[in-house]
Amino acid sequence: MGDGGTVIGHWLHRLVAPPVLFTGIALLFLAVIWGTTLNLVAREHASAERTAAALAADVANTYEAQVVRALREIDTTLKMIRYNLGDAPAQEVLDELRHQELLPPELLFTASVTDARGDVIASTHPASEANQNYFPLARKEDDMVVGQTQRSEGGAERQLSFGRRIESAAGQVEGIVVVSVDAGYFVSGYDSGVLGDQGVLGLVGTDGVFRIRRTGDEVSTGGIIDYDSLVASNDIDNAPATVRHNTWDGIRRYTIARKLYDFPLAIVVGLSEAERLAPVARKERTYFWRAGTASALLIAVMALLGRLSWQLHKARARVLEERVAHAREVEYLAYHDNLTGLPNRALFSRLLSQGMQYARRYEKRMALLFLDLDRFKVINDSLGHDAGDELLQEMGRRLCEATRESDVVARLGGDEFVIILPEIIEGTQVAPVAEKVLAAVGRPFMLAGQEFRVTVSIGIALFPEDGEDEQTLTKNADIAMYHAKEEGKNNFQFYSEKLNTDSLERLTLESSMRRALVNQEFRLFYQSKQDMITGRITGMEALLRWQHPDLGLIPPMQFIPLAEENSLIVPIGRWVLHTACRQNVAWQKEGFPALSMAVNLSMRQFLDEHLIKDIKDALQETGMAPELLELEITESMIMHDMQRTIGILHELKKMGVRIAIDDFGTGYSSLSKLKEFPLDTIKIDSSFIGDIARCAEDRSLTEAIIELGKSLSLIVVAEGVESEEQVDYLRAHSCDQFQGFYINKPMPAAEFAAAVRKQRRGEANSGSSPGQPDSH
Amino acid sequence: MPTRFTATGWGALLFCLMIGSAWAEVVVVVSVQNPVETLSRAELSDIYLGRLNRLPNGASVVPIDQREGTSTRGEFYKKYLGITPAQVKAHWSRLIFTGRGQPPRSVPGDDAVADVVAEAPNAIGYLDPGPGLVDDRLRVVTVE
Repeated sequence: MGDGGTVIGHWLHRLVAPPVLFTGIALLFLAVIWGTTLNLVAREHASAERTAAALAADVANTYEAQVVRALREIDTTLKMIRYNLGDAPAQEVLDELRHQELLPPELLFTASVTDARGDVIASTHPASEANQNYFPLARKEDDMVVGQTQRSEGGAERQLSFGRRIESAAGQVEGIVVVSVDAGYFVSGYDSGVLGDQGVLGLVGTDGVFRIRRTGDEVSTGGIIDYDSLVASNDIDNAPATVRHNTWDGIRRYTIARKLYDFPLAIVVGLSEAERLAPVARKERTYFWRAGTASALLIAVMALLGRLSWQLHKARARVLEERVAHAREVEYLAYHDNLTGLPNRALFSRLLSQGMQYARRYEKRMALLFLDLDRFKVINDSLGHDAGDELLQEMGRRLCEATRESDVVARLGGDEFVIILPEIIEGTQVAPVAEKVLAAVGRPFMLAGQEFRVTVSIGIALFPEDGEDEQTLTKNADIAMYHAKEEGKNNFQFYSEKLNTDSLERLTLESSMRRALVNQEFRLFYQSKQDMITGRITGMEALLRWQHPDLGLIPPMQFIPLAEENSLIVPIGRWVLHTACRQNVAWQKEGFPALSMAVNLSMRQFLDEHLIKDIKDALQETGMAPELLELEITESMIMHDMQRTIGILHELKKMGVRIAIDDFGTGYSSLSKLKEFPLDTIKIDSSFIGDIARCAEDRSLTEAIIELGKSLSLIVVAEGVESEEQVDYLRAHSCDQFQGFYINKPMPAAEFAAAVRKQRRGEANSGSSPGQPDSH
Repeated sequence: MPTRFTATGWGALLFCLMIGSAWAEVVVVVSVQNPVETLSRAELSDIYLGRLNRLPNGASVVPIDQREGTSTRGEFYKKYLGITPAQVKAHWSRLIFTGRGQPPRSVPGDDAVADVVAEAPNAIGYLDPGPGLVDDRLRVVTVE
């Protein structure tokens, strides 16, 4: 039932579909038009045929009556002449009869009398030629005989003679009475209005010879036909005519041939079929023409409607297509990063979960690579966002080139990219891909007219061992990526459980670091610098420590890199600056001598555009003398962008601040460039000092550095000095100052102040020899 | 009667003109008792072809023909009716056959016409006016 309904519904739907509907209606109308036309034509045709047949019968009846009357008149004349013969000579009898107007009009008829041999002995037209073809028959026959039609000598007349024999009382033939008439007389009733140009009127003898026959204006005689086949079958009175092929002229006619009662003649009447049916044929043509026109019109209209409907259909389809295209575009935008055209986080998430489902079902493995561009923030900050965007686009292209079509490359935002490698068998298969990516990213490229190199750190997590759900897998790849960063960047690391633990710690640090500033968990420790000769304290270096509420005191190595990464280093550095200056000023007020205060600047801080302002602010707010502030920067910071560095350093010098190079000797400073920097101090890295007693190389390097410093008129400070031996050596080589555990370790402000006071007391009390360190 | 005189005078004038011409002219004649003086060609034609048996004035009219083969007859039909003897024959042939008419009575020649017309006030005839044929008994009808 339901199925039936659906099927019917389906068909109904098909029926009202425009192409089917219009074709159907058109066919229906065509059927009606042509059905009606054919029916009409058939009826008209039948009616015309009936009319023609009936008309032929009518004409035949009239003609028969006329011929019979004419023949009777002739026979009567014959009988009358014969009756009057005998008393007087034949010519006198004829003249008398004519005078009495008893003879038929002499204009047409000639009456004659012959003797027994056939010679004319009397005639109404004496000059007329004797036509005797009736004679032999007339002698034999008792009734009126009909001769053959004979043309007169001039050819204009066709004489037809009728005769009756004259018998004596003994039954002897004494002569013949003859009436001759132009045979045309019998067809003079031919009416073109009824019979047309191709009709026929005729008299045929029972011998099958046409006495006279007329078609149109053409009169002829003498044709022989098969009398029996023409007449015998057509005997019935008033029967409608049948169409027959007339053998004498090859024309098809509604023909009636009827034997005349009492005379050896038959009439033939025919109406040309072609002529009779011509009007109806014309009418039929008109009908067909009309039907054709109507059909053409109908088809045209239907075609037009069909076309319109088709166009409507097409327009609708187009609108639908546009909508679909729009929806697709919207979807594309929703799932793709508009900068690189790569799948975005949403699509990545979907693809990853799909991939995981697939891998789970078919027991496959897959890898997730988490990528983070190194130094992207520096480029973005220093060259602008447009350059950063260009860089990201280029990176997107390179990542796609470095991976296969079936791999998924997505951008999660910022400089974070991910790559999904589906269907891997071994974890080791991932390493070549990661290397390929590293190489692709590491290729140099032009940005804002400069050649740049970027590197990337990659963390790799494998499914299912490193995480069975999307979040875990992504998080672990992220952790591995951080590990790669810690390992010096531009490398890849696989995830492991240990990393997770480290990372947890790191995460804790990162989140608590933000609180640390607010909660004032940071502390500054101070380490003194002493003059090599006098042993007097000349200044101190401020060193950052983090007093974590749970983890205790955290050394800078553990949180400074983290702070560099998340940009907290800038506010932290600002705090360090302020705190150090404030402390120094406080000590000055307490009566301490003018001790210098050294503060380390990190890379981020140094490149920060607010650096100069921050320093000015710090000096102004605390009232610190600029010449007491010494900013320590590393060699690598100087070399990063030399022009810019020189600019910054000059700015600082203008303010009166002193500048020191920290960890000197570890970088690759171009010694020739060194003199271009407005420096005050170089600090020899503790790694040289540590081995100074044992390693000759370190000794000579240290000596070279001291020489260099001297030649550039810089103060040379040795770091990490731990023994008297080292102090002696350095003093011997004219190093200016030193710092290190040998005199004191970094200590909180209060302790440091106490140590200073103690030293000052000692100095005041004993005036002891300079250079003697505190005892440890 | 002045009218009669006038009519006769006109007839005489016409006659003189005809005599003067080189050709023998066939004329249409009626008895002097017949008031008809003029006939149109169409009326004459209708009378001789059996389509008209009354004159415009209502009087009956009987046409007299001449025997076939006379020169006057051919001349008459050609001149006044514009048809040949064969056509005349075909015409009567059809009327007789269909029973719708009889041809005019025919007489042997001009003299016979003159005699018959002179005696019948309603007869009309034609003749080649030879000497003395058109006398007091007959009047030539003007055919327009």
